[in-house]
Amino acid sequence: MAGSDQINLSESKRVVPLNTWILMSNFKLAYNLLRRPDGTFNRHLAEFLDRKVPANVNPVDGVFSFDIVIDRTINLLSRIYRPAAKETEGGAPLSTSIAQLEKPVSTSDVVPVIIFFHGGSFAHSSANSAIYDILCRRLVGLCNAVVVSVNYRRAPENPYPSAYDDGWTALEWVNSRPWLQSKDSKVHIFLAGDSSGGNIVHQVALRAVKSEIQVLGNILLNPMFGGKTRTESEKRLDSRYFVTIQDRDWYWKAFLPEGEDRDHPACNPFGPKGASLEGIKFPKSLVVVAGLDLIQDWQLAYADGLKRAGHEVKLLYLEKATIGFYLLPNNDHFHTVMDEIHNFVTPIPDCE
Amino acid sequence: MGPHDSSISAAAGSTSSSSSACSTSTKPPQPPDQMDHLLAGAGYKVRSNDLHQVAERLQRLETVMVKSSPVEISELVNDAVHYNPTDLASWVDSLLTELNTNPPLSVPVPTDLSDPNAFPANINMYANHAPQVHGEFSQQVVAPFEEDVSIQLVHVLMTCAEAVQRGDLSLAGLLIDDLQALLGRVNSGCGIGKVGSFFVDALSRRIVNSPENAVHADLSAYENEILYHHYYEACPYLKFAHFTANQAILEAFDGQDCVHVIDFNLMQGLQWPALIQALALRPGGPPLLRLTGIGPPSPDGRDSLREIGLKLAELARSVNVRFAFRGVAASRLDDVKPWMLQVSPKEAIAVNSIMQLHRLLGPNSSRGPPIDLVLDWIRDLNPRILMVVEQESNHNQPEFLDRFTEALYYYSTMFDSLDVCTAQPEKALAELYIQREICNVVCCEGPVRVERHEPLVRWRDRLINAGFAPLHLGSNAFKQARMLLTLFSAEGYSVEENEGCLTLGWHSRPLIAASAWQAIPKPSTTIGPINHP
Repeated sequence: MAGSDQINLSESKRVVPLNTWILMSNFKLAYNLLRRPDGTFNRHLAEFLDRKVPANVNPVDGVFSFDIVIDRTINLLSRIYRPAAKETEGGAPLSTSIAQLEKPVSTSDVVPVIIFFHGGSFAHSSANSAIYDILCRRLVGLCNAVVVSVNYRRAPENPYPSAYDDGWTALEWVNSRPWLQSKDSKVHIFLAGDSSGGNIVHQVALRAVKSEIQVLGNILLNPMFGGKTRTESEKRLDSRYFVTIQDRDWYWKAFLPEGEDRDHPACNPFGPKGASLEGIKFPKSLVVVAGLDLIQDWQLAYADGLKRAGHEVKLLYLEKATIGFYLLPNNDHFHTVMDEIHNFVTPIPDCE
Repeated sequence: MGPHDSSISAAAGSTSSSSSACSTSTKPPQPPDQMDHLLAGAGYKVRSNDLHQVAERLQRLETVMVKSSPVEISELVNDAVHYNPTDLASWVDSLLTELNTNPPLSVPVPTDLSDPNAFPANINMYANHAPQVHGEFSQQVVAPFEEDVSIQLVHVLMTCAEAVQRGDLSLAGLLIDDLQALLGRVNSGCGIGKVGSFFVDALSRRIVNSPENAVHADLSAYENEILYHHYYEACPYLKFAHFTANQAILEAFDGQDCVHVIDFNLMQGLQWPALIQALALRPGGPPLLRLTGIGPPSPDGRDSLREIGLKLAELARSVNVRFAFRGVAASRLDDVKPWMLQVSPKEAIAVNSIMQLHRLLGPNSSRGPPIDLVLDWIRDLNPRILMVVEQESNHNQPEFLDRFTEALYYYSTMFDSLDVCTAQPEKALAELYIQREICNVVCCEGPVRVERHEPLVRWRDRLINAGFAPLHLGSNAFKQARMLLTLFSAEGYSVEENEGCLTLGWHSRPLIAASAWQAIPKPSTTIGPINHP
C-alpha cells in the first residue's frame, strides 16, 4: 500500500497549485486525527485547529460583516456580509457602516440575498472559518449581494436533521427581515453551499416548496451526496485526491440517524427511498461537479434526477478540478465558477 | 506574488492551467520573509520560499501516519499538545516528532541579534509579519439589537457622542433628553436597553463634568472588592484569565524548586489557591513558592494585602507547600521599583498581569511612557513567564467617537453574555462593576482615564518591541478552558486559538485575550546564538 500511497501523493500534487495542495493536505491529515474509529469526534482539537476570523464592521475591499444570533434558543449564529456604501456621509466610513448594519438593502434595486451553508462534511468548519469568510466576501462583490452565512449545528453531536432545521430557521429569518427586502418589498433569496452545505441547500429548498417562501435559485458546489452502492467514480478515485471512501462513510454515519444506511433520502435524494420531485415548484439549480471528486457519480445523478423531474439545472462539470478548488483564486476552475455564479444570481432585466 | 486578482481576465496571470499545477518555478524569487498570500488568507503562515519544503513534510507526515497503528494515532491525538496551527510548518514538524520520525529539516532562520526582529529558532518568529488581512484590528459586532427602537437608540447615541467630540455640548444635552425618552420605550431590563442606559449615563456625566476632572464617587476598597467578587462569580471572564494563567505558570515552573510569582493586582488573591493546590500535587513534590502581591495602599489602616497573604499561607500550609508572601503597596504600577520585589537569582519568576498593563498607557510621566518603564523592569527580572490577560478591544483610540463606538459594541456583547446569569445579587453587582469601566472609558480623559484597553494585535507588537518573545498556549490549555466553560450552563461562550494566544468571547466575539511571554535577555557584549532550554 505504501507504494501506491506515494503515487497518490505525487499525483494529487500535479493537478493543483502547490499552495492549494498544502491547504487540502493539511485539512486531510488534521481531519484524520479528529475522526475516531468509534464514531466520536475530537471537537476540542477540531476547534483548536480551525482557523477562524472575526467579523469586521469596517469595510475591507468594499465588504463589511457582522454576526447576528438568529435563534437564541439554540445559539444559532449567522454572519452577514454586505457591500459597503459607496459614498460616505461626511463622517468617517466607520460611522456610516454602523448606521448601515440593518439599513434596508435597497429601495431602488433588486439586491439578491444569498444564504450560504459552509462545507465540512457536516462535522467540520464554521461560518467564521477563514476559508469560508473569504468565499462569502467574494460572493458579495461578485453578485452585488448580501450574503448570510449560517453557523449550523454539526455532526456527530447534532446529527440529522439539525443542520436542515437550522437551514430552515435561517431561511425563515432572512425572508422576514424588512431590511433585506428589495425595491419590490420582497426578499430575493438564493441558497448556496459547498460539500455538506450543498446538501443542505437541496433540503432547505425542498422544504420551502411547501411554504410561502420563494427561493430563486440553488447553487451547489461539489455537493455532498452518496448512496449504499459503490459507484465507479468512488472506486476509481478512492484516496487519490485528498478524499477517501472510508472518510465519506464515516461522515455519513455521523450525520444520518442511527441504524440508517446511505440510501436514506438525506444522503441519496434520488435513490430507492427518495421522494419524487415531479410537479413541484422547485428552484433552478446550478450544480458544480469536480472531475476529480470521488463522489461525482452521485452528484451527476442528482443533477440528472432534477432534470428528469422537469426542473431547470445548469450542470458545470470541471474535468480536472479537485475538491476545494473554489477556496483559493489560483486556478481557472475558480474563475469559471465565479463567472457562472454571477450569471446565475444576477437578475436579467426585462426577462422576468 | 502580487495581490491576488479575482477577475476573470486574470486567467492568463493565474498560477496554473487546468492541467498542470506547479508553476511556482517560473516566479521570481521572493524576499525571504514573504508569506504566501493565499494561505495567509486561509489562516496559515507559510513563507513562499518554503512551500516545497512544507509540502514535502506533509507528504512525509502522511506516509508515517499511514504506517502508524491506530493506538499510536490516538496517542498522538490525546497526549500530544498542539501549538499555533497558523505556523503550519511547525505544526507538521511537531506531529512528525511525536510519531518519532527522523528529525525534520530545519528552515534557516536569521539569528542576527542586532536585528530587533530576529529570534532564536524555536520561537515563533512570524508574529511581526502578520499580513493584515482585515486591517489592524477588526471591529467586531455581534448584533444584539434588532427592533427599530434599539436601532434608533444606537443611532442617537452615536450622534450624541459625535456632538460631544465636536464640543457641541448644547446639542449633546438635547440629545440626552431624546435618549432618555428612547430608553423609556426600550426594554431596559436586558440587552441594548440595559447597556444603553449606562452609556447615556456616562455621556451625560461627561457633558456635565470636564473629563479631566471627572470625579467618580470613589468606592472604598471594600466596596470595590465586593463588585469585583460578584463580577468574578457572575461570568467566566476572570476565571478564564486565572485558569489560563495558572496553567501556563505551572508549565513554566516545571522542574523548578524555587518559584516566585509576582501578581500585579492581588485583589482578593482569588487566582492563587488553585495554583497552590496544583503545585502541591505536582509529581516530584511542590517547590518553595513565594508570592509577591501588588495592590493599592489601604486607606483605612488595614493591611489588606497582608490579610490575603495570611489566608493564602494558611491554605499552603494545609497542603504542605512551603510558602512566603510579601505585599507591595503601590497606587500605580510604575511606582513599583524592582528592588521592592526582592527577587533572587535562584528563583524562577512568573509575572502575572490580569487587566493591569492597559492602565499604563496613559500620559507620560516625567520618566517617560509608564508602560515602557514597567516592561523594562519586568524584562530586567528575567521572568520565565510574563502572563498577560487584557480586554480584547480598542478603547484607547485618540478620537472620542471611535472609542465610544467600540466600547458600545464591546460592552453590549459583554452585557449580552451576562444576561444568561440569573443569580442575584451577583448579576446586578457585576453589572455595576462593568458600568464603572464604561464610565471610565467614556467620561474620563488624561491620567484619570485608566481603562485604556488595547487589542491583542497591539499588545503583541508592544511586547515584541519591548524584548519579549511569545510562549504559545497549546491545545491542552484550550481544551481545559473549553471544559471550564461547560460548567456555565450558558452555551454561547467561545474559546478561540489565535496564533499561540487564547481568547474567550461571547458567540464569535472575543472579549478577553490571554497571552504568555518570556523575556529575551538584553544583549550583552558577547554576540552569539542564544540557547533556550
